[in-house]
Parts: sequence; C-alpha cells; structure tokens
Amino acid sequence: MGIEYITILIVASLLALMAIGIPLGVTTLLVSLGTAILYFGERAGFFLVSANVTEVLHKYELIAVPFFVFMANVLERSGIAHTLFESMAILGGRFRGSVAVQTTIVAVILAAMSGIMGGEIVMLGLIALPQMLRLGYDRKLSIGIICAAGALATLIPPSVVLIVYGLAAQVSITKLFAASAVPGLLLALLFIAYILVRVRLNPVMAPIYDIPETGLPFFNRLKFLKGAVLPAVLITVVLGMIYGGIATVTEAAAIGAVGALVVSGIQQRLSWTMMRNAMRQTVLTVGSIIWLVLGAVSLIGIYNRIGGGDFLRDLLGSLDIAPIMVIVVMMLIVMVLGTFLEWIAILFITVPIFAPVVADLGYDPIWFGVLFAMNIQIYYLSPPFGPACFFLKSVTKDIELQEIFAAVLPFIALQAVGLFLVLFFPQIALWLPSMLGN
Amino acid sequence: MSKFLSRYAAAMDRASVFIGHACSALFFACIFFSALEVVMRYGFDHPTSWSIELTMALCAMAWVLSVGYVTERNRHISITMLELMVGPRVWHWFRLMQIIAAIVTVSVFAMAVWDPALRVFWRPEYSGTSLNSIQPSLLKVLILIGAILYVLQLLANLIRWVQGTEKASTHGH
Amino acid sequence: APSAAETFTIQTSFNAGDFSTTYLTENWLPKIKEMTDGRVEINLTPSGSVVPSKETPQAVAMGVLDGDWTSVNYFSGQEPAFAILGDLISGYDTPAQLLGFCKDGPGEKVWQKALDAIADGEVQLIGCGPYSREALPARTPIKTFEDLKGKKIRSPEGLVSAVFAAAGASPVSIPFSEVYGALEKGIVDAADASAYVNNAATGLNDVAPYPLYPGIHSMPSMELTLNKAKFEEMTPEDQKALRDWFYMAMEDLTNVVHEQDEKLAAEDTKKEGVEVIDWPQESRDKMRVVARKEWEKFAEKSDLAKEALDANLEYMKTIGLMN
Ligand code: NA
Ligand code: NA
Repeated sequence: MGIEYITILIVASLLALMAIGIPLGVTTLLVSLGTAILYFGERAGFFLVSANVTEVLHKYELIAVPFFVFMANVLERSGIAHTLFESMAILGGRFRGSVAVQTTIVAVILAAMSGIMGGEIVMLGLIALPQMLRLGYDRKLSIGIICAAGALATLIPPSVVLIVYGLAAQVSITKLFAASAVPGLLLALLFIAYILVRVRLNPVMAPIYDIPETGLPFFNRLKFLKGAVLPAVLITVVLGMIYGGIATVTEAAAIGAVGALVVSGIQQRLSWTMMRNAMRQTVLTVGSIIWLVLGAVSLIGIYNRIGGGDFLRDLLGSLDIAPIMVIVVMMLIVMVLGTFLEWIAILFITVPIFAPVVADLGYDPIWFGVLFAMNIQIYYLSPPFGPACFFLKSVTKDIELQEIFAAVLPFIALQAVGLFLVLFFPQIALWLPSMLGN
Repeated sequence: MSKFLSRYAAAMDRASVFIGHACSALFFACIFFSALEVVMRYGFDHPTSWSIELTMALCAMAWVLSVGYVTERNRHISITMLELMVGPRVWHWFRLMQIIAAIVTVSVFAMAVWDPALRVFWRPEYSGTSLNSIQPSLLKVLILIGAILYVLQLLANLIRWVQGTEKASTHGH
Repeated sequence: APSAAETFTIQTSFNAGDFSTTYLTENWLPKIKEMTDGRVEINLTPSGSVVPSKETPQAVAMGVLDGDWTSVNYFSGQEPAFAILGDLISGYDTPAQLLGFCKDGPGEKVWQKALDAIADGEVQLIGCGPYSREALPARTPIKTFEDLKGKKIRSPEGLVSAVFAAAGASPVSIPFSEVYGALEKGIVDAADASAYVNNAATGLNDVAPYPLYPGIHSMPSMELTLNKAKFEEMTPEDQKALRDWFYMAMEDLTNVVHEQDEKLAAEDTKKEGVEVIDWPQESRDKMRVVARKEWEKFAEKSDLAKEALDANLEYMKTIGLMN
C-alpha cells in the first residue's frame, strides 16, 4: 500500500475515532500503535512507540505549562483579576463604549499574565459580562468581545500554544513570544476600532457607565489605579525575566507562579484552600494535556519513519502556485481543522508537516508560528467546536450557545483580517524580535 | 459479585483522587526548585547542577501519575459533538464504546512500555550528565505505572457504566 | 549470491540543514551507490526524527532503523564506555589521529563490545571517529585555564561536563535547543556546542563574541552502524566498500570542516568586537592533567569503560602521543 493511501487511512481513522468521542490521547495512541505494529511487527513497533512517548517526558520546555496554568488559576481564584477590572473601568470614565474598550484592554493585560485561554474567558464572563449587560450594552457585542479578547491569552505572550509550537517546530520560544506581541496588540486594536465604529453608528448599543466614581475628574480617578499596580509589577517581572535575559521561559513561569502567590498574599487573599484548589485544577488540566501530547508525538515519529513527512512535503512542494499561496493553503487547512479539532491535535497534525515546507520555501518559521497562533485564535471562536464559546457558555446560564456563535462571527472576520495582514506584511511579527536581537 | 465490583470502583476512585492530590504537591516542589535555581544563579552566582533534572523528574512524575485522577473526573479531552446529534440514550452506548476502546488501547500501550521498563532493572540507565542521575530509568518505569493506573481507573469507570453510577463528565480546562 | 539493491534509512545526530548533513548528502551519498554498483543506497534522517537520539542503538537492533550515524556521547548514561569513546577530552591533537584509533588501531573492537552491551549484539559497527574539533563559544573572555573557575558552561552528557566541573567551572545541563537563548542572556557563560562552522551557521558566535578556537581538545566521535542481520545479508565486497566509504567520507569532512573553521575564524579575528581566543600551551597542559584524572574516574565506572580507556592509551603510545 502506498504512503498516500496510508495517509488517508490514518487521517480517516483519527477523525472517525475522535468523532465518536474517544479521548484524543487514546485515539492517537491507538492509531500509532496500530500503524507501528502493522509496519514493523510487534516487537519493533512497541519499541518505536515507547521510545517516542518516553522522550516527551524529557522535554524541559513542557514544564512551563503547569506553571502558567497554576499562575492563571491563582490570579482567577484570588480575585486579583476582579480588582484589576474594577479599577480599569473606573479609570475609563464616561466615554461612550468605554466599558467595552476597557474589557478589551483588561483582557490584553490578563493575557500578558496568563498563558492559557480558559481561565481568562471564565473570568471575563463572570465579571465583565454581567456589568456590560447591566449597563445596557448590546448582548451580541458584549458576548463577542469577551470571547475574542479572552482568546488573546494564547497570542499575547506568554502562551502555551507558542510553547508547544516551538517544541514541535524546533524554534526558539523566546523569539516566538517576541514575534507574537505586536500581532496580539494588532488584533486588540482591530477589536477596539470595531467597537468604536459600531457604537458611533448605533449609540443604543453602548450607554454611558454611570456610577459616581466614573464621574470624578480624571486626576481623582487615578487613585483607583492601585488595583492594577501589583498585576502590572507581576507582568513586568515575568516578561522582563524572559526578554531581559535573566531566565528561561520555564524559570520565568515558575517565578510568575510564585509571584502570583505573593501578590495574592499582599492583597490578603492567599489561603491554603485557594492554593490547594488552584493546584488540583492544575493537575487535572495538565494531566489531560500530557496524554494528548504523548499520543501525538508517537504518531509523528511513526509517520515520519514510514515516509509520510517526505510525501506531504513533496505534495505541498509540487503545488504549482506561488510560495505565499502555499502558506495561504496551509492557513486554510488549519482554519478548517479548527472548526472541529482541539488546538493541540491541529498543531501536532499540521506543524511537523508544514514547518519543513515553510523552511524549504525560504520563510521564517517564527513568522509561521505567529500565523499559526493567530489561526488558533479563529479556532477558539469558530463553530461548531469553539472552545472560547463553550467556556463562556459554562459560566452563563441564560445565553444559548447559538447566540454566542452568532455573536462571535464579526470577530472571526476581524481575526481573519489580522491574520492576512501579518501574512502579507511579515514585518508586523518579525520587527520586534529583530529589534531585541540587536 | 456486583457488590465486590462496586467496592472496587469506589476504592479505585479514592486511590486515584488521593494520588492526584498528591501530584499537586509534586508541582509545588517543581515550582519551588525552578524558582530556587534563578535565585541561586543570581543571588549566589552558584547555579545548581541538579535543578533541571530534579524538576523534570518531579514534573514528569506528576503528570504521568495524575492520569487516574483525570480519568476518574472524566477530564480527558474528547470531542462530544455527536452527543447533541444522537441524543442521550444512544450516547450512553457510545460511552461504553469509548471506555472499552480506551481500555484496549492503554492495555496494549502498557505492553509496549513493559519491556523498556523492566530492562532498566537489570541494565539501569543514567542521565550521563555530571550529575548522572537515575532519571531516565525512573521515567521508563513511571510511564508503565501510569499506563497501569489508567487501565485500572478505566475498569472502575466501566463498572460504574454497567451499574449506572457514572459521574457527569466535566469539561474544559 | 549478489544481494538485491537496498536503501538503508540511517538516523544521524546532525540537525536538518547542518553544514555536515548538506555536505554529506551532496557529495558522499551518491558515491556509496557508485561504489556498490547501485546495490547500496543510504537515506540520512535528521537527529531525533524517528527515535530520540539516545535510543538509536536499540532502534537499530530492532530494525526500526537500518542504522545510525551519530555522536555516541548520548549513550554514556547507558554504558560509561561511551563517555570515553565519545569524547576523550585532551587526548588527541587532531581528528585524524582519533580516526586512526578506529580505523587502524584497537578502536573498532572495543567499540563493538560496548555496542553489544547496550544493543543485545544485534548492531554491527561499520566505522567510527570524529570529524571536527569543537570550538567553545563564550560570551565572556576565558583566556586561560584559571579563567574557567566559576564560569557557567553548558555541557551535555559524557566526560565533558565532568572535566569542566573538575576545572572549577559549573556545568549546566540545558537542552541543545536552548543553547542560543542561554548564551544570549548570560544564563551560561560558554557552551560546549559544535564545530566553529556550525556555531557560525546557527548564530552562536554572534551572541558569544569570545569563541575559544581551537577549543579544549574536545572531539566528539561518531559511529556508523547497521542492523546486524541486514549487514550479514550484504556481500563481503559491499561490506568492505561501506567501511571504506565511511572513512573516506569522514576524512574528507574533517578536511572541509577544518578549512571552513580556519577561514571563518580568521575572518572573525579581524572583526570589531569579536575576539577569537587560542589558549596558551601552559593552559592546555593544565587542562590535560585535569582531564586525565577524569578519564581514570570514568574508567572505573565499568569494565568496558576501563577497556576503552586502555585501548586508547595503548594506541596513543604507538603513535607517540604518550610515553
Ligand atoms: Na498570554
Ligand atoms: Na473552532
């Protein structure tokens, strides 16, 4: 049987097994064990799977994942995020649409502290959404902004998506972080511009935030900044350590986790129960991610060995289109996969195949990593499998999933605009790393 | 028999949760040692040779051994789109299929990691660095223990399916 | 009977796109086909592409890979003899001498024994030896042996980290993928990385402007192996052709890499802000004393390690490197 049929068989069985609800980690393990045994027999096949799986546990960079997950959990549970949001809202005053704009800004700040998406959406959903709805903001606008801005957690550094991409594509995670910062802010600016245009055209969508504090003169409102001071220090420390050359990403994540505890201690919100629950939640999250990675990595090793990588490289290389269009095709594939697959699954299916082609075509793998992470932003929102929408649904009883999906559509369009801007103007991503490099 | 089985399921659940909670202590230790390394390097200009290997061993231990806890809470990431389409009664049978597929796969996986895990007992493998720790051997054994824990908890979940005492799955992370 | 044409999949410890991989692929892979009248073809795959680097002997034994062409420092945790075979620091002056240890001396015999110990006797050694001397990229000047004291130096598995520790430095074990960042940020002061030309290609010399070149006589040895069953299916002529081909390729690669190293180092010496450091003989002698103590320590770790060291010492005497 030729490699092309085996590829189709592998993809088809992956999709079928995933569709009937078998956990993704089990699915990839099953397919890789099956392929390995068919190809190499039991003894060699078993060895191939076990060698690759065990190697995952040696990946130093993966250790940053539990640290960032824990940090996000502490920030959420200790109420630090809540305080931050309140101070920002008051600071914004009575400008039309200000609460929606501030929600976006707070989301960006939270994104710079946390590397995972779930916690941030839950937090914004619990804190910002009720406020916006209470103030009479348009439902769809409010829902859309929370899902879209909340997803920025994995585009603005630090980001678990970029860490895992860096591992899979063998590129510098620090450079990926630097390169994704500006595109992350670009998306946030697009969201803000969209909000401002919509509320100008239709003022009913965004009444003024009318509480006594927002009526104070700007200078008096500055004192409410104090809720933002400690989180700002924490962000500066973590990012400063990464870029200032003090620590590796993993070590900075550990310092961030300790820092989150210190900040909640200073604000007198540190308790044994809070810490314990945050850590248990971390164990569950990380425990579910690791089995996914184990299965995916062993599948990649086997697929490479049977010549799959070469086959797909040749296939993409033989496309008779301009190199940039090859990248566009890749992005479209990721987008389609993003409607129904988990991001880690998408990453492990596509990146090992795409990354060498990207290099062959002469493009920067760092830039491609940023494009990939931006595409994952679309994945978070796009139905039917849109995790950001699921997270929001999980905290709000009176909103139907269909309404959320309808609300995020304009934001998906904005994300696509951002993606294509970076695709055709790579400097947006590569400018900052080149500055830091000198 | 049925009483014995439900006792097994309850005992396994307790064991998985206990180990899972213990894993959070391991993560605390990981955070501590990683942060300590930075302090040692800048505070005392004395980087440790053991911090990375120790942290990696602790973290690996935590995320492999937490598998029972994750399985008990039904937190393994899966796609449940079809649940809405086929309805709860058909999905109930899908659940059985999912559990059995997982039991078969993870059992075969346990067989795959069996030989490498046993091999280190008569031919231990060290890291070969200046610390020369036993970490590589440890990881090979751990992954086998993880696979066995996974299967044992899946069996408990299977019993719960048969006896109609399944726990609601909680999604998201 | 003449065997049928066969393509061997061989995993290397080179990264995709390395100078060495590109050079071998372009110049030497066509030659083995020529030398065996098309009966043997080789397909080189990059480091870690099929199995992790330290698992290649097992993978070859099981037939997952047909062979490996890899640096053997990775195996020092499985058998200490590979720390000595992999890089006997301060032992030889030139790669050619160490290639001679394998090709003309007792090298292959003891090497095969060490391989049998970790790969159940199912792997056949074709040839072994180094192709380059490592340079040591450093971000602060390390001008003498004494300057090593207190320096943080990235070093991987094997004898290297033990020698650095004995010389008063702090060996830090960080993954190869993080070397660039670690040097750039000063997490380490220097890094045991690769040949000067490879370091230049990966940009290490840009972030570490005080490279030690020639380095501290670190010369990582590689092996070319085949699955024993596959090897035994070949005709004796092809078996010999493969071995000859390996040593010809390694000798050529040694020369080319040396030429490139010299050229680049000379260019860099002229550059503003870059200082290529060549240790005085006195420092090299001190390093040798420290290194030899570590050889002895490693030799005590297993019988095979002892045997590997004795074989090296014996050969050094025959070529006049030791008395
Ligand atoms: Na982030
Ligand atoms: Na989606």
